[in-house]
Amino acid sequence: MFATLSPTRASFRAKPLNAVRLTNVGKRLDERPVLRDISLEIAAGEFLAVLGSNGAGKSTLLKLLIGMITPDEGNVELFGESLRTADPAIRRRVGYVGHQSMLYRDLSARQNIAFFAKLYGVDDVKVKTDAILRTVGLLERGDDAVKTFSRGMTQRVSIARALVHNPDLLLADEPFAGLDARSSEGLEKLFTRMNAAGRTIIMVNHDVPQSLRIAKRAIVLSNGKVESDRPTDNVDPELVLAEINGP
Amino acid sequence: MNATAQILHLVQKDVRIEARSRQTLGLVIVLAVLIIVVLGLGLGGRPAAFDATAVLWVAYLFSGVLCFEKTMNVERQDGALAALMIAPMDRGAIYAAKLISNLLLMFAIAIVVTPAGVLFFSFDLSAAPRQFAAVMALSMVGFAAVGTLFSAVASSSRLQGGLLAMMIFPITLPLVISSTQMLIHLFRDHEPIGGLGLGILVAFDAIFLVVSWLVFEWVLEP
Repeated sequence: MFATLSPTRASFRAKPLNAVRLTNVGKRLDERPVLRDISLEIAAGEFLAVLGSNGAGKSTLLKLLIGMITPDEGNVELFGESLRTADPAIRRRVGYVGHQSMLYRDLSARQNIAFFAKLYGVDDVKVKTDAILRTVGLLERGDDAVKTFSRGMTQRVSIARALVHNPDLLLADEPFAGLDARSSEGLEKLFTRMNAAGRTIIMVNHDVPQSLRIAKRAIVLSNGKVESDRPTDNVDPELVLAEINGP
Repeated sequence: MNATAQILHLVQKDVRIEARSRQTLGLVIVLAVLIIVVLGLGLGGRPAAFDATAVLWVAYLFSGVLCFEKTMNVERQDGALAALMIAPMDRGAIYAAKLISNLLLMFAIAIVVTPAGVLFFSFDLSAAPRQFAAVMALSMVGFAAVGTLFSAVASSSRLQGGLLAMMIFPITLPLVISSTQMLIHLFRDHEPIGGLGLGILVAFDAIFLVVSWLVFEWVLEP
């Protein structure tokens, strides 16, 4: 379902050591603390799984990293630049898959992707749009309106939107939601290939065994704090599940 | 892509969505024409010609609010606005593009609704068509500047439609009073448009364009 992605430009680019650095980050939503004193460094080229129960602060963490919301305390850095002062152009290096499709349902898949590609300054928009549609297995349906798509197909267009500008850092919030088994397997392979090509991936996922299988490092968030942070090699999923579910 | 190109790209997207979905323009034009007919009949069928300016304003106001709601809903639906917020551009560009899209819709409404009002009220626009167009255009810029900003505020609230009208109408009161008074003087008393009235319109436009551009980023944050 997910075919080979076009060659990455990331491998040709000199990168700082950290793709992401959070220093004592705190965030409140409706007066409720959602993230508390989070300090985290994610090296360029890492594949991090963010795990935790509902309301643990996983999605809020990704929204802070993409700059959709600002922290109440602390500092967020992407590629060595603080998001408070960074030029908006830094967002060109980041792709984001959220809970919602973030697409225009009245436009076709091709029009949606071409629109965002142009906004991100992608050269050769038509070629790149077709390439990414082929990658997510929707080239033949490219001219159909997104509103006619199933949940899984819409999710694949959403993933294509996030990847069309070939980002160095991909933030994916439950990217497997709504995908059938075949698409899910294809996306796993795509993420693995992207990571092998040097891209940094931070993925929120509820499927612990899957996360431990494809990511290289996993953190567990609990009540807005980092409960554990470890490489995924030889980790027992039951142990991680126990941490997520708490005492 | 520079800021101007980004704004035009966003406007082009709005036009394309409207062309494909046809969910806004037809609806608001019908609403505006209905307002003219209902108010015209309510005023006795043959009201004074200059009353037409006030009735036209009512039609523009209500159809405008509907425009602002619908164009912002397109962005909120499925989280597309979030995709724009994280795109590599100044968030003021989103405001500017949405403002232009709203103005295009409002001008399209005016092109249809104004002749309807002129016919219905036997309103002799030929006395000062350019002054009428100038006053209405300046007023619509201010109205759209406020409406675009507050549609972003209201769209994140559960009250939505009712809230938007409640926020916009009091704020645009100076604009509506000033432009209606100018048009009444122009068509009833045959007096030229005064500098004070025009000054109020220009000042209103300038203040709300600048303030809206500056605060739009904070309005968008959830």
